Amino acid sequence: MAYDISTWVNLAAFTGAGIAMGLGAVGAAIGEGYTASEASVAVSRNTKLSGDVFKSMLVGQAVAESASIFALVIAILLLFLDVPNPTLVKGAALFGAGLCMGFGAIGSGVGSGFPGGQACRGMVHQPAMASRLTTNMLIGSAVCQTPAIFAMVVALILMFVDFSSAPLQPTWAALLGAGVSTGLAAIGSGIGGGLAAGASCEGVARSPEAVGPVTTTMLVGQAVSQTPSIFGLLISFVLVFKTFPETAALQTAMALLGAGLCMGFGGIGPGIGNGMAAEGAVRWVARRVDHAGDLMRTMLVGQAVSQSTAIYAMVISLVLIFVV
Amino acid sequence: MQDLGLIHQLLIQLGGYTLTFNLEAIVMAWIVIAVLLFLGIYTTRKRAILPHSMQVFGELIVSSLYKLTEDALDEKLARTYAPLVTALFMFLLLSNWIGMVPHLHEPTKDLNTPLSLGIMGFVIAHYAGIKSKGFKAYAKEYFEPIFFMMPLNLIGELAKIVSISFRLFGNIMGGSIIILVVSFLTYSIILPPFLNAFFGIFVGAVQAFVFTMLTVVYISVQVK
Repeated sequence: MAYDISTWVNLAAFTGAGIAMGLGAVGAAIGEGYTASEASVAVSRNTKLSGDVFKSMLVGQAVAESASIFALVIAILLLFLDVPNPTLVKGAALFGAGLCMGFGAIGSGVGSGFPGGQACRGMVHQPAMASRLTTNMLIGSAVCQTPAIFAMVVALILMFVDFSSAPLQPTWAALLGAGVSTGLAAIGSGIGGGLAAGASCEGVARSPEAVGPVTTTMLVGQAVSQTPSIFGLLISFVLVFKTFPETAALQTAMALLGAGLCMGFGGIGPGIGNGMAAEGAVRWVARRVDHAGDLMRTMLVGQAVSQSTAIYAMVISLVLIFVV
Repeated sequence: MQDLGLIHQLLIQLGGYTLTFNLEAIVMAWIVIAVLLFLGIYTTRKRAILPHSMQVFGELIVSSLYKLTEDALDEKLARTYAPLVTALFMFLLLSNWIGMVPHLHEPTKDLNTPLSLGIMGFVIAHYAGIKSKGFKAYAKEYFEPIFFMMPLNLIGELAKIVSISFRLFGNIMGGSIIILVVSFLTYSIILPPFLNAFFGIFVGAVQAFVFTMLTVVYISVQVK
């Protein structure tokens, strides 16, 4: 049974939409559940503040949900997108966009639950710092969304850039690889950034006078945790915007898909690891403000070592793209 | 929608070579520089013990950024590098915010701007490292823990440039793409101002701060 091309493109778009929303719902739900469980702990410690805790829980959950809202936007766009001149390459691009946004929303959703939960807890310990805790929670979880935003950008590029002149043979694999690379690499960075943000809310509640250094350490730590997802974005850009000559050989296509998979999976671990390093540093900056500089240096050196595995993955991906 | 990823380029043929100028980034960067120069002259004009309001504004910016540098480096080094840090932060902040003005675009949306700033920070950090430790101790660090780790240490250092510049570029360009697509889909009704507030003001400020702090921290890792 033979279908025409527009049927295939629709098929790819609908499957992509399903994957984007299905996977995209995973992370945010876990993150929100964590926030709610910490809020329950907080309320049971001090029932008088239950109103404040309840409010801050809802705000934290609303921010944690934004990753899955990105996924919803992409899924709706994929369902109703009107493709002007459908080609099979466009189908691959739409499927890749769905994969990218689906995977990419997981990490940020889980991660941005941590600051929400810790802010609820901190509010009970230090009711006077409630507004500052809310600010830190909002900054931390907004920066946490960056990997999901990268995934959304790659998804939008895959959906709206015109690939009709590109040859089918290696390009389909390149576009799928581009989606998988940013999508998977965003998982680790999202969770890692959330760990750092959670520790900062805990730290602000523990020692209110350390607000400045704690926030600075959190931002630097989160920024470095995002590095693996930035490498994923780099590989995606190379895969999308480099023009590949037409070839009948399957190994070229597989190398490009493999490059995306390599960077994607390679980015998960370093993202979480860097986040742990940042979490520790932020937590201890709150206790030893006078040693903030030393702690940040230790954190950065540790993160640089933990990041080296992401760099290996990037080197192999670039070799797969440019050499093989 | 077709202007997604489009770059205005000026091509000049010169003796067999083609010189490429990304006009938008150059012009916008010069606008930012002009605004900063004007701000600098305006805030330092008629300085007095009893400061006028613009002088207070200028002192506030400079003193808080000096304080930030002193926290990361020690006092003596901070005096050397704080002017750089202040200039870098103000340039990046204004560059990231300028896109909210209609018809202007962020120079940081073009990869060349963050990449050149990243390379500048990298060179300065390594120069500071060589100056404070001496070349031998500096070079020895690449061969640690064992000598054959040298290529990987080298790639790790170079990856810092990639990560610092792509972080800024990805955030700013990502924000502008999302604003463009959402404005297009909603016919510019209701949503774009909020998106501009988030991606322009908030993300722009956070990323300018992160870029500046990372540059300072890279210097401090090298000198200690």
